[in-house]
Amino acid sequence: MKKFFSLGLVRGILWQIFGTALGIGFIVLVRILMGLPAWKAEPAVVFGALLGAIFFLIGVGAFTDWYKMAMGEEVPEEVDESSLGWRRYFGVSLDHKVIGIQYMVLGIILMSIGGIFALIFRTELAESGMQFLTMIEYNTLMSLHGMVMIVSILVGIAAIMNYTVPLLIGARDMAFPRLNAFSFWIAVPAGLILLSSMFLGGFDTGWTGYPPLSVRAPLGMQMFFLGVSLAGFTSILGSVNIIATVIRLRARNMTAFRMPIFIWAAIATSIISLTATQLIGLSFELVMFQRLFGMGFFDPVAGGNPILFQHLFWFYSHPAVYVFVLPGLGIISELLPVFARKSLFGYKWVAMSSLGIALVGFLVWGHHMFTSGMAEYLRVPFMYSTLLVAIPTGVKFFSWVATLWKGKIIYPVPMLFTLASIVVFLLGGLTGPPNATIATDLHLQDTYYIVGHFHDTLFGGFMFPFFAAVYFWFPKMTGRRLNENLGKLHFWLVTPSFFILSLLMMRVGLLGMRRRIADYDPALGFDNYHLMMTICGFLIAAGVLVFIINLIRSAKSGEPAPGNIWNSRSPEWQVPSPMPVHNYDKEFEVVGEPYDYGLPGSTYVRFEGEEHHDQP
Amino acid sequence: MTNHNQTDTKRRGVFVFIFLAIATILEFGIAVFTSMWGFLVLLAIIKAGLVMYYYMHIQRLFEQDIETDHKSYAFKLVTNRLGLWLFMLSDFFIFGGLLLTRFNLLGLTRPDLNQTLGLVVTSVLLVSSFFANRAEASMEKGDRKGFINSFAITITLGILFIAGVIGVEWQLAPFSASDGVQGPVFYTMTGFHAFHVLTGVIFLAIVLRNGIRGHYTAEKHWAVEAAAVYWHFIDVVWIFFYPALYLIGTAL
Repeated sequence: MKKFFSLGLVRGILWQIFGTALGIGFIVLVRILMGLPAWKAEPAVVFGALLGAIFFLIGVGAFTDWYKMAMGEEVPEEVDESSLGWRRYFGVSLDHKVIGIQYMVLGIILMSIGGIFALIFRTELAESGMQFLTMIEYNTLMSLHGMVMIVSILVGIAAIMNYTVPLLIGARDMAFPRLNAFSFWIAVPAGLILLSSMFLGGFDTGWTGYPPLSVRAPLGMQMFFLGVSLAGFTSILGSVNIIATVIRLRARNMTAFRMPIFIWAAIATSIISLTATQLIGLSFELVMFQRLFGMGFFDPVAGGNPILFQHLFWFYSHPAVYVFVLPGLGIISELLPVFARKSLFGYKWVAMSSLGIALVGFLVWGHHMFTSGMAEYLRVPFMYSTLLVAIPTGVKFFSWVATLWKGKIIYPVPMLFTLASIVVFLLGGLTGPPNATIATDLHLQDTYYIVGHFHDTLFGGFMFPFFAAVYFWFPKMTGRRLNENLGKLHFWLVTPSFFILSLLMMRVGLLGMRRRIADYDPALGFDNYHLMMTICGFLIAAGVLVFIINLIRSAKSGEPAPGNIWNSRSPEWQVPSPMPVHNYDKEFEVVGEPYDYGLPGSTYVRFEGEEHHDQP
Repeated sequence: MTNHNQTDTKRRGVFVFIFLAIATILEFGIAVFTSMWGFLVLLAIIKAGLVMYYYMHIQRLFEQDIETDHKSYAFKLVTNRLGLWLFMLSDFFIFGGLLLTRFNLLGLTRPDLNQTLGLVVTSVLLVSSFFANRAEASMEKGDRKGFINSFAITITLGILFIAGVIGVEWQLAPFSASDGVQGPVFYTMTGFHAFHVLTGVIFLAIVLRNGIRGHYTAEKHWAVEAAAVYWHFIDVVWIFFYPALYLIGTAL
């Protein structure tokens, strides 16, 4: 029992409960002292939740070292936590590999929760008419599915970047290990607060939370806003770390164009999430203030402007989709040469295309607002800036196809997922321009076509590459490889059903199915399509279940894989798996191009004091 | 580190402060006697540039590493500077968003506020920034006493600023937080900024306490530099908020 309470996570949650109660009590006390009625739910719950999150961080120990520093005490530079065994995964750890795995587990948990929400309301949609959900339940589940999945994706990309970036550039750890731990741990109370909205009346705005609807929604809305604002810190502080690490801690001679290509993607992603995330935080906080203090930012009666919210919101939320997909596209570029045994085609162009997507991404947010009453003259510039994104994305596709061309392709599970993500992302990419073009968007806005489009981009740009990355780097994490047969089962359950699901979504959308609605007219004739989509949804869930079982089983008793099982040239595969505590015992120097597979006599890295030897 | 000796750094700090003070008075004059808001924007950008260059040492980000050993203090110092600037860059975006909100909702009108009071709190923050720079210059030379005195003055002025904004401005403002859009804009902008000032005061107080206890040397005083730079960052934000709230446009 004592051991149980020594886990950081358990202490954190207990402290969070205590902090929440304290916050609620404080507001009640203040109201009594001010002579107001003692109980008003909204300020009490919001303040309680905020204090609860801070108390969670105190309880888990994310502030301990900083407090010591502030008190003028010395804190150790590096801590060896390997004696803690599995317990270190449940408390504050400074090791980027532990934090990466913590992120991965949290990401998969959130993904499963979001997926279960989707299954519930998908089942409701399988037939027209309302079967077992009420409208507000449907709306809450649908809205939470969106935001929980978004948070899980942010956590998922943080997992991959945290685990791989220091390994790929040869650093001992991130530039700011304590900040790194803090960024992870704030995501936990943020997720709990976000999910608590279900029990506080839910909300019915979709994941966008547009006012004026969000001003009138039940109390759950506030928990949604607060949870997302807090989760934003994960993104912001995580990107501070990634950018500083890449700029400062690269191995000797690793010049900009000799970095592994994934690093470029991580940098591009971090530039967006470092800066733009503040704007979604701000837009949500302003609605919170409007609800709490009656501030009429978005209330036209008081002179406010609801369109302003949409501008602030989409200034982050469109670039955010590039935050979601850029790391995934980087993984595709990183893994393709390994399995095609060929050099990556047009390295510099691919690197620049990541930055290009990130920078153009800042100029396109208005395409979400073609029908929202935004100034007319803004429509055309936003249309063209949006279509511009297709160019750097096209560069990536050319590079992938040319990399595969005449390669000696082998098909282990990570490669299967990489190839699937290219195809799925192509589908997502090609269905994008019709939404960016004003004339067609006026028809497609808010239909299931949009839903199909962004599920394609997010599965192709995040989910499939995430699976590929986990299959690829799992042996590095554990020293054991994931079961290939279960992996293939996972792949064949998920991929075909996903194609059917997303294509049907687009079809019913084109025929006039609105998005976000709980029910539809049977006369539209969509019942069969929706039934098929629901079945496909369950098949995808079964595939993910196989994946989770595979993860747990293989971590315990998978086939040992201590060496370079993928014949990769990347530095992390030149040392035995699992990775030593402080990464590389010997520093390495970059002596060649990263992706010259099949070029005789070339190496990418040479370790200190080692003779030159040919890499695969 | 800078190559200048202490007197030079301090004298430069005084010159920059005098220029900032003149620019602030000029702003006030332009706003009271004319309606040329373009000049106000220009002056704010010049002021911010001066503070960022001479007080926040943005040029240090582009210095070459002296040390390549990743574990050395000199190497970590450069990394820490980069981290702090990235954080501030991110924070600039939230204040930028607030400025956008203000101009979207109020345009060329401004909240009905006492301009003289605005000038007073602005001056308090400006003087505090001057002393923060002086403290850092003292520490660079190893002058602990000068550092402690200057930081103590900075903290006092910082608290005075919070008291001026929250204690006086908020009480005297002729509108409440829920009045029209000027209420929301004014209280949110000053509230966000005052929260940052509060964190800055806490940061300065921690560093001051450790400084009194004998931490930091002329060679190793990153915490002092960070606290001072963060304090100037808060000042830069106010350099834009002050004209946006008190000077630009006609009073509602």
